[in-house]
Amino acid sequence: MIVLSFLDIVKSYGSTMALRGVSFDVHAGEIFGLLGPNGAGKSTLIRILMDIIRPDSGEVRVFGEVRRRHHLDRLGYLPEERGLYKKLTVIDVMTYFGALKGLSRQEAKRRSAEWLERVELPQVATWKIDRLSKGMSQKVQIAAALLSDPELCVLDEPTSGLDPVNVRLVQQLLIDRRRNGRTTILSTHQMNQVEALCDRVAMIHQGRLMVYGDVDEVRRGHSRPEVRVQVRGTLPSVAGVTTVADDGDGLWRLMLPEGTAPSELLVRLIHAGAVIDRFEPMLAPMEDIFLQVVREARPEQVTA
Amino acid sequence: MTHWGKIGTIATFEFFTAVKRPGYLITTFGMPVFMALYAGVVAIPAYFASRADRVPSVYGVVDQGRVLNLQKEVTAGKPEMPAEIKRALEASGQSAAMAEAFVQSRVVFRPFASEPEARRALAGRTIKGYFVVPPDYVAAGIIDIYTPDTLSIAGSQDRNIFAGVVRDGLLKGRVDDRTKARVVDPLKETRRYSVTRTGDLTDGGQAANVIRIVVPLLFLVLFLMSVLMTSGYLMQGTAVEKENKVVEVLLASANPDEILTGKLLGLGAAGLLQIVVWLLILFVGGIGIVPLIIASRVEMPWVALALALPLFIIGFLFFGSLMLGTGSLGSNMREAQQLAMVWSLTAALPMMMMSVLLREPHGVVARAMTWIPFSSAALIMFRASTDLDALPWWEIAGAMTVLIASTWLAIRVGARLFRIGLLSASRPKLSEVLRQARLAD
Repeated sequence: MIVLSFLDIVKSYGSTMALRGVSFDVHAGEIFGLLGPNGAGKSTLIRILMDIIRPDSGEVRVFGEVRRRHHLDRLGYLPEERGLYKKLTVIDVMTYFGALKGLSRQEAKRRSAEWLERVELPQVATWKIDRLSKGMSQKVQIAAALLSDPELCVLDEPTSGLDPVNVRLVQQLLIDRRRNGRTTILSTHQMNQVEALCDRVAMIHQGRLMVYGDVDEVRRGHSRPEVRVQVRGTLPSVAGVTTVADDGDGLWRLMLPEGTAPSELLVRLIHAGAVIDRFEPMLAPMEDIFLQVVREARPEQVTA
Repeated sequence: MTHWGKIGTIATFEFFTAVKRPGYLITTFGMPVFMALYAGVVAIPAYFASRADRVPSVYGVVDQGRVLNLQKEVTAGKPEMPAEIKRALEASGQSAAMAEAFVQSRVVFRPFASEPEARRALAGRTIKGYFVVPPDYVAAGIIDIYTPDTLSIAGSQDRNIFAGVVRDGLLKGRVDDRTKARVVDPLKETRRYSVTRTGDLTDGGQAANVIRIVVPLLFLVLFLMSVLMTSGYLMQGTAVEKENKVVEVLLASANPDEILTGKLLGLGAAGLLQIVVWLLILFVGGIGIVPLIIASRVEMPWVALALALPLFIIGFLFFGSLMLGTGSLGSNMREAQQLAMVWSLTAALPMMMMSVLLREPHGVVARAMTWIPFSSAALIMFRASTDLDALPWWEIAGAMTVLIASTWLAIRVGARLFRIGLLSASRPKLSEVLRQARLAD
């Protein structure tokens, strides 16, 4: 089920085109990666979704309807440039943010305490915000964004600046959301997280949608037909292999002609009598795809 | 569509955040303490001055012109308090206390046969000074005054008292005593009556007039104070939100109209609470003057008083939304205050025009200002207070309709500016403001 659709979104700032007709869908219950280099238009797209700014043209649909203000209570948001009221207590700020999302004050307070437990910060409830470390503050903000249990939540770089333990904690929160059928849009530059967490991705560059789809499919689509094989003994010679590289310890890299499926090679190897311990079609890392998209994109005239 | 629940949430948050601020508490409870201290500082020297006044000042008189014909010392006092106030004090049972407070200072004029004799007395500081009435005084009107070679601030008052003594001397034996008394003090007591448009007589005493002016003036002063202080809180809060990067979270939860209205209501309530506290303290502190007001037979301008609260709230929303919208375009607090300054000056316009308005409370200027939303709240109050009969009901209704419509428009315009301002790190150009305002539909 589609929970979010961007339909031909165009947005300019003065003479600068930020988005040039971006369209894609986000499905219910997925973790969706929104990727792109700095200045690609990701934040603009998110702000349009949250109705902070209006597009010049195009339409945003959420939960099957044209997005209206009342839908905002079902959306969560952790902006890239974020902050909290420094002179107030953690629980007061979280309660306020929860109440703004339509929770009653009591419910917002109860959930705030619960979420502080979940992000392992129950002790800071009565602390003033300016007493928190950067990492603590970040976790409080993530908790504040999630405490209304939004059906669709946009998290812009949620793990930047967190240590590996807390990165794992936040990742687990996102996995839990997926398990509960909640949708998360994850805007990040950390490609390892995309590979580990995201079901599907959209990559924007120079205001255009460059890559969109299932993460594995995208990786496959951008991969060269290459297979890593580990065999016992010698690698038998098989047809349909363009290049063979010996990586040692019985590990070989085989390049296939364009259009050859790795499964065809597997059949041929078995027929040739190879004892195979490992057969791994190589998928391009998301980072390479990211770099490739950015490098190959023609430097464009960015003005309208 | 406006969501009143969100407005309520924002208003409650802003209210409690504001009233817990140390600055707010200090201003709310510190201001009366400061005023009391200030009054004390003013009262202490006044107390000592009044004590000093109870000791008669002795002046010498050398009457070379034979105008006064003083055979012995003459004691004279300062003009008495107006009879109307004296009556009110008596009716309220406070004449003794007030008489003590307004104790008459006395001056004694001691005759001297010659100028050297008076000079010796002054040199010996047994007198405070002396007046010489020259032989040609009646023709020339010149009197010589001799004072010590030290600063004397009481001289001018005492001179006026001496003038009364001279008037008395000039008339003595020339006219009968009653005529003489009228020449010396032609308006000893006045009785004032006001005639209404229906020909009825009402109390036209000074106290009644004072109340009619005091009510709108108090309204204006409190209104201005509230607008200025609360808009300061508003701009400070918005600057903090911009600085703390909280604005995006707010805008992702509520629209700018809701945020602006919530802030205005929350901080407006905090401002109103502050004024209520001050008025309560003033009332408790001044409880003693209530019988005085009652005894003065003052007709309270009840209609104006009834209109005060709604006018206050609508006027506050009108100015507050404009100030907040404009102020939010500034990149910092100082810039915000500069941008919003124009509205502060506009709000103060009726105060600046007060002399014109007092001359003609229902003249062309007053009527025109009643229909201008920037001044209508103050002018409705002023005109309803000074003479309700001269302010037709349709003018009140019409001006309030214009004010309410303008307030709605101001909130919409303010909200658009607010949205643009919140998302701009630096002060946006006018062309960008206009472009964004069009997109905000």
